[in-house]
Amino acid sequence: MSQTATVNERAAPAHERPSYLFDGVTLKSWLLTTDHKRIAVLYMISITIFFFIGGSAAALIRYNLIVPEGMIPSAETYNRLFTMHGVIMVWFFLVPSIPVTIGNFVLPLMIGARDLAFPKINLLSWYLFILGGAVALYALFVGGADTGWTFYAPYSTNYAQGNVVLLVTGIFISGFSSIATGLNFIVSIHRLRAPGMTWYRMPIFLWSLYSTSVIYVLATPVLAITLLLVAFERVFHVGVFDPRIGGDPILFQHMFWFYSHPAVYIMILPGLGVVSEVIPVFARKELFGYKFIAWSSVAIAVIGFFVWGHHMFVSGQSLYASIVFSLLSYFVAVPSAIKVFNWLGTLHKGYIRFDAPMLYALGFIGLFVMGGLTGLFLAALAADVDLHDTYFVIAHFHYIMVGGMVSAYFAALHFWWPKMSGRMYPEMIARAAALLMFVGFNLTFFPQFILGYLGMPRRYHSYPPEFQVLNVLSSAGASILAAAYLMPLVYLVWSLLYGERAPANPWNAKGLEWETPSPPFTANFAITPVVTDGRYNYPKPETSEAHG
Amino acid sequence: MSRVHRQLLYGWLGLLALVAIEFGASILPLPRGLRPALMLPALAMVAVVGVAFMRAKRGPSIVRVFAFAGLFWLTILLGLGMMDPLTRAVYTVQSTELP
Amino acid sequence: MAEEIAPHLHFQYADTGHQEETAIAGMWLFLATEVLFFGGLLLGWMVSRHWQQAGFDAGGRETVLWIGTTNLVVLITSSFVYSAGLGFIEADQPRRLVQCCAVTIGLGTIFLALKLYEWHIDLSEHLFPAGPFKLHGSEADGARLFWSFYFVATGLHALHLTVGLGVLCWVIREARKGAYSAAWHTPVEVVGLYWSFVDIVWIVLYPMIYLVGRGT
Repeated sequence: MSQTATVNERAAPAHERPSYLFDGVTLKSWLLTTDHKRIAVLYMISITIFFFIGGSAAALIRYNLIVPEGMIPSAETYNRLFTMHGVIMVWFFLVPSIPVTIGNFVLPLMIGARDLAFPKINLLSWYLFILGGAVALYALFVGGADTGWTFYAPYSTNYAQGNVVLLVTGIFISGFSSIATGLNFIVSIHRLRAPGMTWYRMPIFLWSLYSTSVIYVLATPVLAITLLLVAFERVFHVGVFDPRIGGDPILFQHMFWFYSHPAVYIMILPGLGVVSEVIPVFARKELFGYKFIAWSSVAIAVIGFFVWGHHMFVSGQSLYASIVFSLLSYFVAVPSAIKVFNWLGTLHKGYIRFDAPMLYALGFIGLFVMGGLTGLFLAALAADVDLHDTYFVIAHFHYIMVGGMVSAYFAALHFWWPKMSGRMYPEMIARAAALLMFVGFNLTFFPQFILGYLGMPRRYHSYPPEFQVLNVLSSAGASILAAAYLMPLVYLVWSLLYGERAPANPWNAKGLEWETPSPPFTANFAITPVVTDGRYNYPKPETSEAHG
Repeated sequence: MSRVHRQLLYGWLGLLALVAIEFGASILPLPRGLRPALMLPALAMVAVVGVAFMRAKRGPSIVRVFAFAGLFWLTILLGLGMMDPLTRAVYTVQSTELP
Repeated sequence: MAEEIAPHLHFQYADTGHQEETAIAGMWLFLATEVLFFGGLLLGWMVSRHWQQAGFDAGGRETVLWIGTTNLVVLITSSFVYSAGLGFIEADQPRRLVQCCAVTIGLGTIFLALKLYEWHIDLSEHLFPAGPFKLHGSEADGARLFWSFYFVATGLHALHLTVGLGVLCWVIREARKGAYSAAWHTPVEVVGLYWSFVDIVWIVLYPMIYLVGRGT
């Protein structure tokens, strides 16, 4: 790619500039930074902490479920635990996850810009996230709530004991963080792309980030007003959800799921984008069907807004509305399927290397397909009557969220780790962790499909004794999964101090971010690059250049 | 008066006229089901503010994309959201008044 | 958004025009989020009225029409005046901009004052939907729903307006310091977008609160 000079060229030559990690070493320089790369690191530390807090709640849940009467004596405590698990994992890990960590870091690099459009708003988004998280954690610390992460009215508004208002306040604040991030990403992609970078020359990951950002920006405000109404109803007893004055509790569910269904696409779209990035690199082959994959992200984001009623088939929603939502839910599966087939097309006749990012990405494909297909079972009205509120639903969404998204997060983490930290992680241990995770995950969640089909309800502290074997298997799997998550925590931190220093392009990948040093210096590029060809033009496998 | 200010003045006068129309229409004895039609002048007012005061037509084209997106998604929220109440089979029970 | 008072070009932009257009685009996108925020309330209004039409409209008849209508005219005029101010700074007349901002702030304050007075009237007539309520009988439930919607909607709108007033005070302060000129006045335009949006919200709320329930 050729390069031209721009207005704001810095004086010092490239090799003398400090990397972004060392450009200012005081705490203040980190806490008041507007550098997107540092903000990404701040977020990464934050969501890792939340991940392990939410994971501890999960551990306690699985611990409780190893005996039919429940290991934890109090059902009330159990209810608060699954609420805590859901709230933390959804809003403080999954919804931000890849976009605020990897996305914040690579988006400007990928478009050839020096930062996002609004760097100070980016920093503000992190502070809002921390504030929201602190309020939510405090709410959980003083006892939490037992409503489930879904806060259904009128239980949450009129009857629940516990710190509902405090908890929803924390979530409400964190919502502004999402909106700020999404706004920044959308405007940046529209306005800051380097000369020559047309939409179709953008890395496919950016199409996913853009689609995710559209959902951040348009769905989160509806969550905000919904949570506000819950808080008002609890505090002031003014409310539109109160059935005693003719209010419609199902209205709550409509408003809540209008956000929360697109939210699950917030949670998966970045992962889909990461897999689309990783597979071409480790198959040494051009991404098959770039335009289809790009527009499928947009389609998921758009159609995802039309299907929320599939969470409400047995709520009392009208049958005709349910039929419409069911039909639309089948449509939304199609773009995801397109992606999967295109990935397979990319892998076909490629030169596949099984580095850790690739192992996670391949695991993603299998687990995501299982999760996605079981979603179709649930989208069928008649089947959903039996399966709603059972462990089948839990298995379905954990296959996508954990088997899919968390795998993708680890794939992204390992793929861009050399770029972000300047160090290589220990490859063999990483591969072992990926395989262990795959095994532990399936052992944890596959039995739950069977449990759900057999009728075990979700959110129950105790269960009939005939379900014990499957529950024990699931809990055993959870302990393996926990070990598999702890391993990267240990070896990635280890690599910061003792890992081999990373070259600019350890994977021999294409893309502007691989043209910067590892780690990059603060301004990203010395001179604004000009893009002359697409990202995925890997040489055809027949040439010697392919063996990289 | 400059051209810019004249156009703003026309916008303001147009808005006041729409307020008068809206207010006048509200005095008419409309059946209860049609009362929400009183929102229509309001929508016209929104358009006038958007074009005359917010310069929706003159800014960078992305502005119109964002405005359209907001309105389109609002339509989805209200449309698909009302689909359920409008098509629900209602089984009435005795209503109770709050003590 | 450009937060410095001087027309300082941020390093990630090609030129000031690029930066200004980006700031305007950012504000429009933010306003799209606000449309969805208030849109949730709109859905609540529509659904609640659907289930309790008689009571809902009965509640609507208790609103103070003259205050609502006066406030509508006040806010529309304030939006007009502020836009005129933007027109003035584009013609390099900062003094006129200051005057227009002052009038806008004055009108916004009048709105708030009338709103507070209106709430006082509403509360003294037992129209707060919790506790002892003015209406009884079959219409009470729907009326309570209406008044729940009323207080949430007008409260949130007033909050947005107050924030707007604060930002307007910042603009007028900067304008008096001579920070804006025909060459650079991006914050003036961006704030204007927000203020016009506050106007739009009231334009939409007005018939829903004051007109639909009346005359039945």
